[in-house]
Amino acid sequence: MQLDFSFRETWLHKINPSFKFILIVALFIHILFIHNINIIINYMIGTAILYILFTGHPWKRLLIISIPFILIFLTSSTSMIFFGKGEVTWFKWGLIHITEEGFFRGLHLGFRGLVFATLGIIFALTTRPVYLFYSLMQQLKLKPKYAYSFMAAVRLIPIMFEELQTIRYALKVRGVQSQKGILGFYHLLKSYSIPMLSQSIRRAHRIAVAMEAKRFSDTTKRTYYYLVGFSKLDVYLLIYFVVVIGTSYYFANSYSYFPIQDVRYNN
Amino acid sequence: MGRALKLTDILVTIIIALIFGLVYKLWGPLYGFVSVFGLHAEQLIYGMWFIAATVAYLIIRKPGVALLAEVAAAHGEFIFGGEWGVTTLIFGLGQGLAAELVFAAVRYKKFDMFTVSLAAIASAGASILIDFYYGYIGDLALWNLLLLIGIRCVGAVLIAGIFAYFIVQALEKTKVTNLIRPVSSNDYKDLDK
Repeated sequence: MQLDFSFRETWLHKINPSFKFILIVALFIHILFIHNINIIINYMIGTAILYILFTGHPWKRLLIISIPFILIFLTSSTSMIFFGKGEVTWFKWGLIHITEEGFFRGLHLGFRGLVFATLGIIFALTTRPVYLFYSLMQQLKLKPKYAYSFMAAVRLIPIMFEELQTIRYALKVRGVQSQKGILGFYHLLKSYSIPMLSQSIRRAHRIAVAMEAKRFSDTTKRTYYYLVGFSKLDVYLLIYFVVVIGTSYYFANSYSYFPIQDVRYNN
Repeated sequence: MGRALKLTDILVTIIIALIFGLVYKLWGPLYGFVSVFGLHAEQLIYGMWFIAATVAYLIIRKPGVALLAEVAAAHGEFIFGGEWGVTTLIFGLGQGLAAELVFAAVRYKKFDMFTVSLAAIASAGASILIDFYYGYIGDLALWNLLLLIGIRCVGAVLIAGIFAYFIVQALEKTKVTNLIRPVSSNDYKDLDK
């Protein structure tokens, strides 16, 4: 299987992975306290700029990756739009009760989902998992046995895919017919998951025994093949988000899209 | 008998978690598709996102495994480019902790369907708690909120409780679980025969 996944390395790739990770988690927690839909829309524009211009991937791939974003928007917003609490009724039909407040709260949730998704995808596109774990070991003192286990596990994924294909062929060549209905689905699931799990566990066990013998779990006086440090680019990223958040608040107050300050029901 | 996690336990847990991480990733689009039917039909399949913790616990039977598995699975979903981004990590942490608490309450000695179902409900509870902040679900109409909680718990028990239990039972027949479980007193008795 040949999969072209080449990309241009940008400054986002060079940021310390641990720092990037902590920053994104901090942003996540901060966003939970934003209840103003105008701020969140500006925020979304700020993260979208980072996603489109600085991830270094061709725009076609970025476009394909962002297709599920539509689904995120819909799944995060629809329930709240149709069933949210509110005073000003727009539409009522059976159980569905669309109110102005519920509608904007739903939109807010949709945009919030989009911001989280973009932040997550920016991280995933610009961080090599190996560097992330080396950085976690060096900067955040993650125990090596966890980090190396994770890295080894990630390397085993392609083998799992191969195995999945093998199982498919094996079932086909033996003429296994899938039954219909929920029981058939259960059998189908079992015929894939049991060999997959058992083989993976056996392989993981073998590798782990070898790794223990090679002292991968040793913590004293470790040296690292990759040394991950900090640079001034880390500061740039921090400044970028400070500016994005600052301007989001500023523009939300002076040029708002909707005359709503807080989407929550009781405040 | 050491109960701390060895590298072997960790690697096996993470492998199991990554398999489920892949399932979690594929579950996202399915979840989106089912949610089109409305009335929280999607909550019935939400339980799949709790399964890594219960399956890993049933297989390895050590403290800390449930939490590690759920976080690793969430992390897996994240690095496979899951749509929900960082959100998954927070939810994974909450759900894993909740399941771990249930297993700690039975002192890591019970491995039956009831215990894992309880853990599944605890995970569902944690996810609902996070949703109160993340999804404003407290602002849904009351009947709708109760419907969401009810269906999510039912789905959790069905998938992360009962289904997980049957998967591990089937797996036990392959004897692969004997490789990694800590030795029990029964094993010592077998030696004396």
